[in-house]
Amino acid sequence: MCKVDKIIDETPDVRTYRLIMNDPARMETFKWMPGQFVEFSLLGHGECTFCISSSSTRPGYFDCSIKRAGVVTADIHSQLEEGMDVGIRGPYGNWFPTEEIKGKNLLFVGGGIGLAPLRSLIQYCIDNRKDYKDFTILYGARTSADMCYKEEIEEWKKNPSLKVILTIDKPEETWKENVGVVPKILEEVVKPAVENTKVITCGPPIMIKYTLVSLDKLGFAPKDVITTLEMKMQCGLGKCGRCNIGSTYVCKDGPVFTYEQLKSLPDEF
Amino acid sequence: MSVFIVETDKAGLQKFYEEIIGKFETYAPVEKFDKYDYKKVSNLSECNPDSPIETTMSLKPLFFPKTAKIMKFQEDSSGTTLSETDEDPLAGSRVILGVKHCDARGLQVLDQVYNWDYIDTDYQKRRINTVIVSTRCDKAGNQCFCTSLDYDVENSDAHDVRIVNGLDGKIYIQGVTEKGEKLIKSSSIQQPASDGAKDELSKHYKAFDASFRLKMNYTEVNAKLQKLFDSPEFETVSSNCISCNTCAFICPTCHCFKISDEKIKDTGVRYKSYDSCNNGYFTLMAGGHNPRPVKYRRWRQRSLHKFVYYKERFGMNLCVGCGHCAISCPVNISIFDVVNQVSKIMQ
Amino acid sequence: MDHSKQIQDIASKLFAENKIDYFVGYRQNAIDDSQVPYLISDPAEIPRLVFTDRSVFNLANYLKPEHTRRKRVGLVVKGCDSRALNLMLTESQVKRENVYIIGICCEGVLNEKGEKAQNCIECVMPDAVVYDEMIGTPTGKREYIVNADIKELATIALEKRADYFEDIFSNCIRCNACRHSCPLCYCAKCCIDQETSTLYHGANTSSGAMHALMTWSLHLAGRCVDCRNCEKACPSHLPLHLLHKQNESVIYENFQQHLAGMEKDDRGAFYKYSLSDPDDFIL
Repeated sequence: MCKVDKIIDETPDVRTYRLIMNDPARMETFKWMPGQFVEFSLLGHGECTFCISSSSTRPGYFDCSIKRAGVVTADIHSQLEEGMDVGIRGPYGNWFPTEEIKGKNLLFVGGGIGLAPLRSLIQYCIDNRKDYKDFTILYGARTSADMCYKEEIEEWKKNPSLKVILTIDKPEETWKENVGVVPKILEEVVKPAVENTKVITCGPPIMIKYTLVSLDKLGFAPKDVITTLEMKMQCGLGKCGRCNIGSTYVCKDGPVFTYEQLKSLPDEF
Repeated sequence: MSVFIVETDKAGLQKFYEEIIGKFETYAPVEKFDKYDYKKVSNLSECNPDSPIETTMSLKPLFFPKTAKIMKFQEDSSGTTLSETDEDPLAGSRVILGVKHCDARGLQVLDQVYNWDYIDTDYQKRRINTVIVSTRCDKAGNQCFCTSLDYDVENSDAHDVRIVNGLDGKIYIQGVTEKGEKLIKSSSIQQPASDGAKDELSKHYKAFDASFRLKMNYTEVNAKLQKLFDSPEFETVSSNCISCNTCAFICPTCHCFKISDEKIKDTGVRYKSYDSCNNGYFTLMAGGHNPRPVKYRRWRQRSLHKFVYYKERFGMNLCVGCGHCAISCPVNISIFDVVNQVSKIMQ
Repeated sequence: MDHSKQIQDIASKLFAENKIDYFVGYRQNAIDDSQVPYLISDPAEIPRLVFTDRSVFNLANYLKPEHTRRKRVGLVVKGCDSRALNLMLTESQVKRENVYIIGICCEGVLNEKGEKAQNCIECVMPDAVVYDEMIGTPTGKREYIVNADIKELATIALEKRADYFEDIFSNCIRCNACRHSCPLCYCAKCCIDQETSTLYHGANTSSGAMHALMTWSLHLAGRCVDCRNCEKACPSHLPLHLLHKQNESVIYENFQQHLAGMEKDDRGAFYKYSLSDPDDFIL
């Protein structure tokens, strides 16, 4: 069981819930890697799968960013308040290959709520900054109001060792950054170098689809592109069967896959 | 594999059953609403372990019930407390009579998924404390095709005891596992079988195999289906499917489930109940994205999971060829026909 | 009753004149004398179409969008099926110009045991009530008979009846075959699904089954046409008609002898409210 310590409104439909375990000893030993997820229960309403959006290099708490989308998430938004209890199981699944990407240039491509799993890795990498080379974050949202973690992004922008590029889909009066969808900005503004670079991407299915096309065009090898999949999950234990893609259990073998691995799976996600 | 065999006759077999029912918690096929299902019995007259009619539900609900409490929770001013459910999965040991080969095999297949990674302890406990006595397979049913799949029915060790009606008129009771041997030794049927018993069993299984109407070449089907993900046939074969969950719920090996909470005032229970990939909501995500929104995709998942994916992952075929689904399907779709039509093994 | 030849002829004609994209009929099941609903888009499959007293399904079910979305469909209907189709037309689920209806003057179909089905014995309207083409000789409307099982049930003491229903509900496996086989359960989102509603929590308990089945039967009250497609679909062989027939008899008695789907544009008993309706049965 965890207590909700703080609720942060990110966008009109995304909130970040900062959670602390009721048992301090367990909070102490609760370790996770960026990209892993937990089963989050609002008891009596149901259980949902969310990735942990903070990094265990910042201990004492963990964050789940939740977008209001279905029945349970709507209940979470309307009924869960600070100080209330939630049930947490986890962490489950695999994680971003934090060892393998050491010594590489990193390009993060995120869209909308897709920044949540990336944020965990970004925090992790910032806290181990010396292990990684150039750092580029491309983040897009539909409108400026739909951008998550606004304050944190401001901090990232102030950090001289990070390059942050923001974009929104349609022009807005007060908006001074890029305008256009993520794949377009990726090709026209970021123009990343392929050499010694790993790309980590997450976002809505349509964005991932076209980003992969753009990355292909830019010359990235499928094994250098890492993404995390969203599938309907319930047990998180490789039993309930709904996250199956072919013989793969997304909850055990995933959710983090390289584009190369994805290509070998049946086209069903 | 144990080769402990005793022989008896009809009256002896009845006595064997009666002794078991008298001594252990026993389950056997019981008739209700014009169909048979495995239910708890206290008297041999209540049930019919030798009925040739297939039970509607498989053996699965006795190990993985249609709904089970996972935990309870209670809310008060200090917060929420969780507790174990008061349901004990299985108090003592039990015996199941009148099991068919396919149903017993189904449990072996289920063991694979329940025992990898996280181990389902309730399931495990029920498995260990159960003795399975299989009978009834003298002649194949209309929809049976268990002998066509990737296992050896004659030398199967899926059941603990098997009862075979020999072609010579004798009834052979064989202890296949240690548990089974113990069960037989604890009964009063003690006449060891003559030396020819092993041959009699083989003869029985030859005749059994010959009685099958449905046969397929499993290796070929498996190899062909691996390449048929994009087959347009899936659309044809699924055209009259009505997307209910019947086939999955009664299947001996389908193991998908859903988790749901029931809360009344401050207390609640979390349940785990059957779910099915044929249900349109199965993979629907909260944002509205659904990888399998139409029924031919769901049928593709069902067929390939049964005949390709599970084999790839766990080394066993997920379909055991029992034919339960074809018998109960509201629109008479048979998975044998589907797989056959897609892979075009037989024209 | 064997109308296979006529149906094959009509189907060939419809495909030849390009009037339909799909034809929905029956074909013989390979293993026994039962039949299978058969959706064809290729005229080459026409010779497999049959219609006999084993043609038990209600094919109007295949007019739901998940089966034949935006397609022109040729369809075979018996008396009871046509009443369901009539309701689907009235409730704007099907466009009349998109269906070509072959109505059968039904002589009754057989149940699994090979006897005439109970709903056929008690049938009020064996002839199709809506059709483009009619096969057989119409015999007209018959007198309404209260279902034999309902009458019997009424003689059982109330507590015993409760036990009987408890038995039914605890044998339900919540596979939803009843709902999916009903042509009149066409809602895209059902209020008794865990995924789309908060009314029903989804656990497979007998109280959950009671909740789901009772809600379901009340949504069909005054609309059920007694085709028994649900009961034939039920893998647990539950006597689901008890729920529907009970509703039907109450409605027949109290709503000016209303029977669902008999007339064009009849919107069902619950839409015909008037202040002079008797209400003494409510409490």
